[in-house]
Amino acid sequence: MRRPAAFALAIIALVTTTLSQAQSGAGSRQPARPGALATRQAIYAWDGDLLRATYSYRDVLADPALAKKLSTGLPVVIAMRAYLYREGDDVPVALVPRVCRVVFDLWDEVYRVHLSEPEHESDKAVVLDGVLRLCTEARDLPVARRAVVAPGRAYFLGVVVEVNPVSPEIVDQMRRWMSRPAGSTSIGPSDALFGSFVQLFARQLATSDATLTFRTQGVVP
Amino acid sequence: MRSASCAALGLLLLPALARAQAAGAQYADLAGSVVSDPSGLSSAFQGDVTSPGGGDRSDGLQRSLGLRYTLEGVEVRGNTTTLSWVVLRYVPFHAGDVLDVDNPALALTRFRLLGTGYFRDVQLSLRRGTHRGAVVLVVSVVERNTMVVDDVWLGLSADVEPNGASRPLTAYAGVRVTETNLGGTGLALGGAFAVADSQLALRARLADPQFLRSSWIAETELLYNNARDFYGNRDVLVDYATPTSTPADYAVAQYVRFGGRIGAGHDLGISSQLFLAYRLEKIESVLPLAASDYRGRDIEPIDFMLIRGGSILSTLSATYVHDTRDEPFLPKTGHHVVASADISLTPFGSDYPYAKLSLHGSEWWPMPFGHVLHLEGFAGGVFGNAPLFERFYVGDLSDLLPDRVLDLNFDRRPAPNFFNTDIVEIRYGNYAAKINAEYRVPLYRGMRSIYGVDAFGSVGIYGLANLDDFVNPATGYSGFATVPIDLTFNAGLRIDTQAGRIVFGLSNFIGLLPVRGPDQGAGHP
Repeated sequence: MRRPAAFALAIIALVTTTLSQAQSGAGSRQPARPGALATRQAIYAWDGDLLRATYSYRDVLADPALAKKLSTGLPVVIAMRAYLYREGDDVPVALVPRVCRVVFDLWDEVYRVHLSEPEHESDKAVVLDGVLRLCTEARDLPVARRAVVAPGRAYFLGVVVEVNPVSPEIVDQMRRWMSRPAGSTSIGPSDALFGSFVQLFARQLATSDATLTFRTQGVVP
Repeated sequence: MRSASCAALGLLLLPALARAQAAGAQYADLAGSVVSDPSGLSSAFQGDVTSPGGGDRSDGLQRSLGLRYTLEGVEVRGNTTTLSWVVLRYVPFHAGDVLDVDNPALALTRFRLLGTGYFRDVQLSLRRGTHRGAVVLVVSVVERNTMVVDDVWLGLSADVEPNGASRPLTAYAGVRVTETNLGGTGLALGGAFAVADSQLALRARLADPQFLRSSWIAETELLYNNARDFYGNRDVLVDYATPTSTPADYAVAQYVRFGGRIGAGHDLGISSQLFLAYRLEKIESVLPLAASDYRGRDIEPIDFMLIRGGSILSTLSATYVHDTRDEPFLPKTGHHVVASADISLTPFGSDYPYAKLSLHGSEWWPMPFGHVLHLEGFAGGVFGNAPLFERFYVGDLSDLLPDRVLDLNFDRRPAPNFFNTDIVEIRYGNYAAKINAEYRVPLYRGMRSIYGVDAFGSVGIYGLANLDDFVNPATGYSGFATVPIDLTFNAGLRIDTQAGRIVFGLSNFIGLLPVRGPDQGAGHP
């Protein structure tokens, strides 16, 4: 009887190794390995002692279903976080958030946009193209002051863009709530009628409708 | 307005900021510094402005984006099976309401509808109403198959040879299936069966998650069990009514249960629920005329824990559940407490005067690297003469023996008895307790067919006893051996999949190893 046990242990060890490798990099709000993200171009410029960056993330709305959500009349939030990393490091030295909130005004047929970033906040009424430019392009985004970056060292931005992000706390709360919807528990709670069923949906609760991550090319400020 | 949006922004980014600040990031400095010139960005976008907005909304509303409309109605689309009123009872908006597009109840409505399990996708949108400022809320659903397999049981139960080797007793199988949206009405109809050699269990259950459109859950269940159980460990003397009975080293009782229960439940808050139920059963049992077995060194008559012939069981039960787990199968944090009380209603004809109390608590703690520690405790007591199937069974406490399925017991083995105590004499008891610790290591998390895979290892100690074991321990045992406790352990994988939950445990193998040798049951002569 030792053989089955040894065989089972070997199987577990094999699965453990395989799945651990598959899991790496998933599930973190901050890029786990920012240096390994797909690279896209950004334009950097000094504005006094402030480093600014310009780049686009329009493809976060590439899914037509997601783009269609913009015109449902209900709010859509596009949140971008840009982490400034020193090349070779996984620890950010600065973080810049940029949040865009869009609601389509059904009767005026304009998109009302509230944009919030470190430099300023603004409210606009724009057409769809304006939404895309306002909410999916960072233009002259203030990244860091000169004192934060070491001269002669290369830096890059690790960017995370989320559409309709939900805080982990709220996701957890929803999962709790969804795991016990009205009627989810039978008279004998240990014998839950819907338990495993509702679990399927709790699992589908993502932390956002879409997530895009990338890094910019390195730059020596 | 600015402070409100900054607060929202801060809330959104709080976890990230905490990490970034811990890493020495300079976000606070950046966020606090307002560069005097917005560098013309704003003016660049001004060209996109097409209209400053309608006259029925104030400037303040425009700034907050909190557009408000008069709700003209709610429209359900995409439901081919589910009746519209079933969807609408989860939508807390009605015609004539002022609808603020920022109302969080809109998002919650979507999750609430998803939580019913009737739909694969739910989307909310607005469309213009018949006059300016009016809108219709459109709920678009994509239905899914609502027939669910809740449980599948397959196994091989065992007896033991005198030398301790396992001896197959019977194969068993069972399944529990539920249609969670019967005819699109939102009612749930469930059925279950379990079958083994000379045993059959059937269940049928109907549940309404919103009884009469109230916040009460109502449920009714029908039950049928044609069961048998095994008594005695060895050297059993048994006198059956039929002289052709096959001699065996155990006694067998057969009984049939038929009845049902009705109940209702209600939320006591976001994490707590209370359930009340009434049960009525008719029991017909066929017992040996007499049987005796060794208990320690003494021969004692076997208590079959059933009334010979026909009897009635009538009980009232109350169950309180407090559940803060973040998810039901692979929780990382939270606790789960179930307290229940059953009282047999002898004044109303029940033939089994007893009360049963049990408390089961679990707590999960997140550990470094995403690992999870789970501690659980259970304690219960039966006071009076409860029928066999209401008493605590060793297989339900030990990971190394099969659990009962739909109250059917397939296995005849006693406790593995790693501590050489008198627990080997006890398969059913009126008092039970268990503490168990489990450590889980997440291996995989996914969103498609496999949602999660965790490796786990657990170890626990349980005890099972009757009153006699406290006041008159079995002869032949002394000292620590009179404390009826045993060790249980398990290790393996917990897999959460689209098809259901699977546990691969080493105990499935270990449970078939010879764990009871000739020396076990040391009290035997």
